[in-house]
Amino acid sequence: MLFNSLSFIVFLVIVLGLYYSKIFSWTSKKRLLLLASYIFYGMWNPPLVILLWISTMVDWTAGKRLAVEVNQKKRKLWLLLSMCVNLSFLAFFKYGDFFLENFTVLVNSVGIDFQARPMDIILPMGISFYTFQTMSYTIDMYKGKIERARTFLDFALYVTFFPQLVAGPIVRAKDLITQFYEPKKATVNQFVWGLFLLTIGLFQKVVMADTLLSGTADSVFGSDKLLHGVDAWIGTLAFSGQIFFDFAGYSTCAIGIALMLGIILPDNFRYPYASLGFSDLWKRWHITLSSWLRDYLYIPLGGNRHGITRLYVALMLTMLLGGLWHGAAWTFIVWGGLHGTYLILERLQRQYLPFKITKWNGMFLALTTYTCVNITWIFFRAPNFDKAWNMFKSMFYMQTDGEKILGSFDIVKVSVIISILFLCHWVMRNTSVKEVSLKTSTWVLGIVWTIMFMLIVIAQGSGEQFIYFQF
Amino acid sequence: MELKKTLIIVLILSITGLTAWEMYWRSQGYYPTLNDEKALWAKERTKVEKATKQDIIFIGSSRTYFDIQKKDWEKETGIKPIQLASTGSSPLPALNDIVENTAFNGTIILGVTPGLFFSTTYPGAFPWQRIQSKVDFYKDMTYAQKSNYFLSIPLQKSLVLMSGDEEEWADDIDLKSFMRNIQIGNRAKSEIPPPFYNFGDVSFDRNIAMTQRTVSDTAFASSIIKVWNFFGRNAPPPDKESTTKYFLKDANKFLARGGNLIMVRFPSSGGIRFGENKFLSREEFWDDLLTQIDLKSYHFEDYEQLKHLTCPEESHLRKEDAEYFTTELAKIMIKDNAFSNQKIN
Repeated sequence: MLFNSLSFIVFLVIVLGLYYSKIFSWTSKKRLLLLASYIFYGMWNPPLVILLWISTMVDWTAGKRLAVEVNQKKRKLWLLLSMCVNLSFLAFFKYGDFFLENFTVLVNSVGIDFQARPMDIILPMGISFYTFQTMSYTIDMYKGKIERARTFLDFALYVTFFPQLVAGPIVRAKDLITQFYEPKKATVNQFVWGLFLLTIGLFQKVVMADTLLSGTADSVFGSDKLLHGVDAWIGTLAFSGQIFFDFAGYSTCAIGIALMLGIILPDNFRYPYASLGFSDLWKRWHITLSSWLRDYLYIPLGGNRHGITRLYVALMLTMLLGGLWHGAAWTFIVWGGLHGTYLILERLQRQYLPFKITKWNGMFLALTTYTCVNITWIFFRAPNFDKAWNMFKSMFYMQTDGEKILGSFDIVKVSVIISILFLCHWVMRNTSVKEVSLKTSTWVLGIVWTIMFMLIVIAQGSGEQFIYFQF
Repeated sequence: MELKKTLIIVLILSITGLTAWEMYWRSQGYYPTLNDEKALWAKERTKVEKATKQDIIFIGSSRTYFDIQKKDWEKETGIKPIQLASTGSSPLPALNDIVENTAFNGTIILGVTPGLFFSTTYPGAFPWQRIQSKVDFYKDMTYAQKSNYFLSIPLQKSLVLMSGDEEEWADDIDLKSFMRNIQIGNRAKSEIPPPFYNFGDVSFDRNIAMTQRTVSDTAFASSIIKVWNFFGRNAPPPDKESTTKYFLKDANKFLARGGNLIMVRFPSSGGIRFGENKFLSREEFWDDLLTQIDLKSYHFEDYEQLKHLTCPEESHLRKEDAEYFTTELAKIMIKDNAFSNQKIN
C-alpha cells in the first residue's frame, strides 16, 4: 500500500479509529497494529508476507537463545543462523539475477559456452529495509547491547510496524521495541503535528517529486540520444531533487503516521544538500542507513582503529556495499565507490590541506559538495554505463553537438526548484521544521499547510511508487 | 503556535478553497467524468476470465471504442459485449493477450484502423506500448491498486477536480497538466504537438461516447483534426509485413481452438479518409490481409446504410450515429450468421 493512495487514507482512518477506541487493551492494540501491518504489506503481494514471518520467527528464536546462551560458540551459531537467513533472502530475491548474469559473463570470458535464462524473481517490497532492521536486533543481542524483546508480539511488531516497514527509517530495537512495552497514545499536539508531517511528506512526494521533477528526469535519463550539456545537467539536477523529495517524503510520512499513534521514529534526513563535505552528507542523508552501515559494517571492518590504510579500505568497502544495498547493478556499486572515494579524499584534505569553515566559504563548500553528489546521481539513475558515460560527457562538454530535448520552461522550472531547495537546505541546516514552526504564527503556518494540502489535491497524483521501495 | 487552532484554520481554508476550485471549473463548463484509465480496462478484462462461447469481445483502437455503443449492441444481439478497445493503440497486443493468456473461444470483433493496425510490432512504439501497458497492468494489478480504483470511482463521479486523466488531455485540470501546457519558445526545435482535448465521456462499464461539444463546436472539432494530422505527418511508415505476420499467428491459433474472429473497418471521413485511402489503401492493406486468412469481415464502404456516415472530427462517430452504426452492424452480422453464438444467429 502506498501512502499517496486512497486505500491508505481509508486504512489509516480505520486503524486510528480502532487504535483510539476504548474497547481494546494495549496488548490488543498491538495485535491490531501487527495485523494492520500485515494487511498493509499483503495488499501488494500477499504470499510475500511469508518472508516477513520467516524473518520474524528466525530472529525471535535467535534472540531468545542469545539471551540465555553463554557458550560463545553456540552464540556465534545463532547469530550466523540469523544472518544467513536474512542475507540469503536478500541474495536470492534481490541479487539472484545479478549474480547469475555476472556468473554467465565470467564463464563466457574464460571460453565456456554457458547461457542462463533470467530467473525473473519478484523483488519483495522493502526487503532491504526489514532484513537490515531485524538483523540489527540479533547482532545487538549477540553483542549484549540490548535485552531481548519481552514478548513475541513486541518483536513481530518491531519487524513489521507499517509506517516504516517498506522504506524506513531503519529503526534499532532499543529505540522501537521499548516503546511497545507501555501503552502509547499521542497527545493532541503530537497527533496534529503528525498530521502536519504527513502533509509535508505527501507534498514532497506527490507535488515536488512526481509532479514537478520526475518528468524532466525521466525524459533525460530515458533518452537514447547524446544530449546537450544543459539538458544533461537539468536532468541530473531534477533527479537529485526528485530522489530527495521522494525518499525524504516517505520518511516524513512514516514519522508523522507513527507520531499519530504516539510512537516516535528517528529523523532520516537533515537538509542533506547543504552538507559541508561528505562525512557531513552521510550524517544528513538516509541517516538510519548510514548509521547502520557505520555500526554493523564500518566499525567491525576495523573503522579507524587500525591505521590509515585499513581505515580507507573499511570506508571504501562500506560504501561499495552501501551502493550494492541500493540495487543489484554495477552502476550502484560505482555510485557507492564514488562516495567512498569522496570520503577518502575528504580525509586526505583534512590531513594535508586543513582549513577553517567560515560563513563565507561554507556556501561554496556546500555547493561543491552538492555538485559532486550530482555526479554520483548519474550512476544511480542511469540504466547502464553507456547512458551514464554519455551523460557525463554531455555535462562536462566533452560532447558539444548534443541534442536539446528539454523545453525552456522545463529548464526554468527545474532551475528555480533546485535553487530554492538548495537555499532552503542552507537556511535550515542548523535548525528543524519544529523549531521554525514554533517561531511561526498560527495563521502563517495554517496558510502554508493549506497551500500544501490544496496542491496535493490539485496534483492528484497517479499513485506513483516511491523510488526506495525497490531497494 | 497553537496546533489545534492551526488545524481548524487549515480545515476551514481547505474546505473553502476546494469548494471554490470545484465551483470555478464547473462554471467553466466542466462536469464530473470518469477517467479512461488502465484500471477501467483491467476491470473489463477481468470479464474475459469468465466469458463463454456465447460472449463477444471488441478489440481495436478508438474507432472500435467510440463507434460501438454497448447498450445498442446488447439490444440487438442480446449479448452485452466486453469492450477492450484502446485509444491510439494497435489491436495486436490485446489479441495476443486473449489468445495466449485465456481459454476464450467465443467471438472477437477486431476493429481495423489501418494506421494503427499496420503500424508496428516494436514493443517500445507508442501504439503498441499504450495497449501493452494496459495488458501488463491487468496482469500485475495489486489488491492495493484495485481498492484505490474502486475508492476513486465515487470521487470521479462527483468531483470535477478529479479530472487528471492518465491520457494527459490538454484540458485536464491537475497540476501536471497545467505545467505541461506552459511553453516558452521552442528550444528543442521539434514540431510542438497541437493541444489534444478530451472528446469522449466514458462510463463505468467502459462505453465511450463523443462529447456534445465535439459535435456542436466546429472549432473544437478542428482542434482534434489538427491532432490527427500531426500524428499522420509524424507517423513512421507502416510495417505491413511484420504486423500481418504477427496477426496471422494469433488469429490462426484462436481459430484453431474454435474461436470466431470477425474483422470490421469502422468509418472515417474528410481528410483522414483521404489520407487513409492514399497511404493505406483498402486494396493494398485491408483486402490483402483478408486474402491470407478466411474470416468474416465488414468494411463500412460495402454497406449502403453505413457508407454515408460523417465523423465530426473525421475519425469517430457522434453518439447518435454510433448508436445507429452499432445497431445496423449488428443486424448485418446476424443476417450474415457471423456469430458462433447460436442464440444470436
